[in-house]
Amino acid sequence: VKKSLRILIVEDEILIALELESLLQDAGHEVLGIAASADEAVSMGRDLGPDLAFVDIHLADGPTGIEVARQLARHGVMVLFMTANAKRIPDDFAQAHGVIAKPIRNAV
Amino acid sequence: MSQRSRAPDLGSAREIEEGLGDPFTAAFRATRMAMAISDPRQPDNPITFVNDAFTKLTGYSREEVLGRNCRFLQGSETDPASVDRVRDAVRAGEGIELEILNYRKDGSPFWNSLVISPVRNEAGKLLYFFSSQADVSAKKEIELELTRARDRLEDEVARRTRDLQIALDQQTALLHEVDHRVKNSLQVVSSLVLLKARRIPDEGVREVLLNLAERISALATVHRMLYSTGDVSRFNLAEFVAELSGDLVTTRPHGQLELRLNVDPVAVSAAKAAPLALLVNEIVGNAVKHAHPRDRHGCLSVEVTRPGNDVRIVVEDDGVGMDMRGAPEHGFGKTLIELLGRQLRAHVDWEDAEPGTRVVVTMPLNAEEAQL
Repeated sequence: VKKSLRILIVEDEILIALELESLLQDAGHEVLGIAASADEAVSMGRDLGPDLAFVDIHLADGPTGIEVARQLARHGVMVLFMTANAKRIPDDFAQAHGVIAKPIRNAV
Repeated sequence: MSQRSRAPDLGSAREIEEGLGDPFTAAFRATRMAMAISDPRQPDNPITFVNDAFTKLTGYSREEVLGRNCRFLQGSETDPASVDRVRDAVRAGEGIELEILNYRKDGSPFWNSLVISPVRNEAGKLLYFFSSQADVSAKKEIELELTRARDRLEDEVARRTRDLQIALDQQTALLHEVDHRVKNSLQVVSSLVLLKARRIPDEGVREVLLNLAERISALATVHRMLYSTGDVSRFNLAEFVAELSGDLVTTRPHGQLELRLNVDPVAVSAAKAAPLALLVNEIVGNAVKHAHPRDRHGCLSVEVTRPGNDVRIVVEDDGVGMDMRGAPEHGFGKTLIELLGRQLRAHVDWEDAEPGTRVVVTMPLNAEEAQL
């Protein structure tokens, strides 16, 4: 039985965020919300307590995704980076668990 | 009087005036070349003879220099390394030639082209040091000016090289930034189309939109690869084909399609990246979507090689042949392949692989690409 995950999307491009939300919903997961900036992401991560967060490196307030990942990890959220440029992720991975390359495709 | 303490006999003033004595001695005294003789057998190797040219050059009188070591010619700016060389040569009883900064009695400096030669008797015993001095300040000044000019030139070349490198780095950064933004925009467009597709009930229309989003997404991947590599002028075709094929195969249920990749490292000019990526996307996408309809299992092989100065891309499936594929989009896909092939001056051959289909793309590389 597939476990449904409660997911936070941290992405400042709303159309990309919506498309990812649709993909995740199609896969049977629950999207708790979409955060476009670091502050939003951290407060939503703290208040909503998602199982998983998809985090873009570049957000509305700059390349703050790395710091968002560290903060979310502190609140016990598992983080996956979304980026087209994995070089921007620090060596310690900012406590994230993985990275998926953009553009994101739907795999069955 | 012992041999040891006697100064060399260079004749008296009277002898010279009257043309008597040794003619070599007379020449020594009269030459315009400054000359000195010192006696290394006495303590501290004192000067025992100087000619008039020496006193004229240095400003010291004969009385002031006789009996002294010639180091009084050194001064504050004299290179200590040169002094060491002279001292070492004299200690070793060897000759030396060098240019050294010396000072006149009035304190004015001059460049001295100094030649010191040991004088030995027949038994090889060191008797004297003979030295000649010449003021080469004018020549030295020109040399120094040349050195300074060369240093200035080298500094200038280094500065301009640095400027050019900075300009190149900025240009590269700018191109990366442009590719990044283009990728982001294409991704947004792709998301837009996908969002719209979700809201369309008609399966045929939705299929068209999904195909469109896939093509846009392929272009976004091209731009991501262009800014992820250091060289902005080349497109890593091999990496693109491997990644795109892998991505497309995952759109089919897990395990239905086995992908066999055989990709040699081939790069092409960045200008060809977009059409080539679309071409590959069409051919591989077509095979992935239509060669194995419904739950038919099979294999897809994708090959990139570089025979001679061509790039060869072979996409082969073991599914149903071209004639059996009833995809509504198929007509447009094939038109797109033909158009892009023409743009790239590539040959696209469709062959019956019995079973399945083999598509062979042969594209000539230009001279520049052949070097990549």
